[in-house]
Amino acid sequence: MTTYRKTLSLGISAVTALFLVAQTPAADKKVEIRAKGSDTMVQLATAWAEAYRKVKPNVFVNVNGGGSGTGIAALQNGSTDLCNASREIKPEEKEKVKATSGKEVKEYAVAIDALAVYSNKANPIKEISVEELREIWAEGGATTTWEQVSPKFKGKIALFGRQNNSGTYDYFREHICGKKDGKQREFRPGISEMNGSADVVENVTKTPTALGYSGMGYKTPDVNWLKVSNKKGEPAVEPGADAARSGKYPISRKLYIYTAGEATGEMKAYIDWILSPAGQKIVEQEGFVPLK
Amino acid sequence: MSEKANARRRKFQFLDALELPTEWIIRLCGWSSIIGIAAIFLFIFREAAPMVPKLDWIHFFTSPRWIPNPGTGNDASFGALALLVGTFTTTFIALIISVPIGLGAAVYVSEFAKGKTKETLKIIIELLAAIPSIVWGFIGLMILGPIVKWIFTAQPDTWWSHTMLTLHLASADTGAAQGTNLLTGGIILALMSVPLVVSLSEDALRAVPDSYREAALALGANPWETVRRVLFPAARNGLLAACMLGMGRAIGETMAVLMATGHNNRIPAALTDPVRTMTATIAAEMGEAVVDSDHYRMLFVLGIVLFVMTCGINVAADIIVKGVKGKTK
Repeated sequence: MTTYRKTLSLGISAVTALFLVAQTPAADKKVEIRAKGSDTMVQLATAWAEAYRKVKPNVFVNVNGGGSGTGIAALQNGSTDLCNASREIKPEEKEKVKATSGKEVKEYAVAIDALAVYSNKANPIKEISVEELREIWAEGGATTTWEQVSPKFKGKIALFGRQNNSGTYDYFREHICGKKDGKQREFRPGISEMNGSADVVENVTKTPTALGYSGMGYKTPDVNWLKVSNKKGEPAVEPGADAARSGKYPISRKLYIYTAGEATGEMKAYIDWILSPAGQKIVEQEGFVPLK
Repeated sequence: MSEKANARRRKFQFLDALELPTEWIIRLCGWSSIIGIAAIFLFIFREAAPMVPKLDWIHFFTSPRWIPNPGTGNDASFGALALLVGTFTTTFIALIISVPIGLGAAVYVSEFAKGKTKETLKIIIELLAAIPSIVWGFIGLMILGPIVKWIFTAQPDTWWSHTMLTLHLASADTGAAQGTNLLTGGIILALMSVPLVVSLSEDALRAVPDSYREAALALGANPWETVRRVLFPAARNGLLAACMLGMGRAIGETMAVLMATGHNNRIPAALTDPVRTMTATIAAEMGEAVVDSDHYRMLFVLGIVLFVMTCGINVAADIIVKGVKGKTK
């Protein structure tokens, strides 16, 4: 029995020692970066964090959603290092962060979110305005048939959107449905809510009278996207990376990372990597538009 | 001989000591279902409870506006009318299809099929019951959907499209061009509940004593008359229970309807309009609803409604079956 115990403890110490020896060279100090904010950016931020593990195995990026506002609030009380935001920070929020942390907010534009409006190949209508889109999508809107948009096409418009907890849903609602009497207009009832952006495009491909919205990255050769203008009669802009970057395309916005004070050390390295071609490639893979 | 038997008895005497614990274990097994259902109900109710007094129930049952994540500054709207209608319509279509097919198949298997055919059919029906619901959903999405779409697609301005639209068979919005819709979902649900209806009905028919069949034949009834006039009335309770359980299966099904109905929160105006069921809503939204938010609690309220509905169906089935029994006796 005692010999057995001796062998066992020896064995355990040997294994532990081996483990320690093996660990030592790679064991740089473990660093955790907390990133919180926009739900739109959660998947993108998670993809970044995962890819970054391969670049720097000792850096763990902990990604959380909750919304851009939640992220900025977390920046104020120091419960996050990076704030993902799908909108620009408001001046009063900047003030608050400065008042509580004593640091100036630093802004990094990291990607562009641009939504395309997709239609079926059979549909000859090639352009549409944000105003018209509002009447089509918003609750109480007047447009329900394609005839109302243009005499070129007929039939009731079949609408395909995203499920109500997706960031894409939020952004499209905010941007297209607009406000009425100071209140956000909701989507009209009877929109098919798909669980993925690719599903939306897939259904639009199969449905002649369809109209759907999704990120620009989901375009396939079997589906059309519409040129979009702000108002009817104004020149419509073809969706595309360049139009989104220049800001000419109406349904696009920048995505930001905010920090309290200039990012330093591992955090700076992480943001630099996000802005590098490797980080921007992931932006594209996740269906967003890269900055360059 | 008796010595041998005594030895045997002695050898297995220790089993007597096991008698009591075994009895209790079996009793617990029996009670476990009661405990389980109580626990489930408590859990669902606890999660939903804070919402129950707060909720505008009239709005819940009469408005189709289901907006759990409203825009900034807006109030959420929890109108579940369209979801209720979605659940009822898909279930209704499933029943219309599955009851005749299920009963017909049961009659064939139990009364007419012989030997190998009978055995093969029984095995295949049991196999059908074992197909996971996600696979059914996939079949609905990939195979049945395109077929339904092809049949009902309303090419504008053809006699076919006019007929389809007037009869409310094709969807005025999409012309059934969306393969996932009420009909597709209903058919998939029917296919899923058929095996259950068949095997339960077959059991019920087989439980009818052979003397009934012989008596019918002796009176000169042909097989169809025997089935309709003798077997159906005799097996009525079991057949009704089979249909009710098939209905319960259809109402509670989630994955397949999530994939096959189009997930569209609307009150359908045509057979091939996309719809959305309560179960699909819970499945699609639970993952991302913030825990303890109103939205999260509302999904549990939907759960309670489903629970009450299936309980109601079972109790109703029970009462009907008992009533029918009372009359026949």
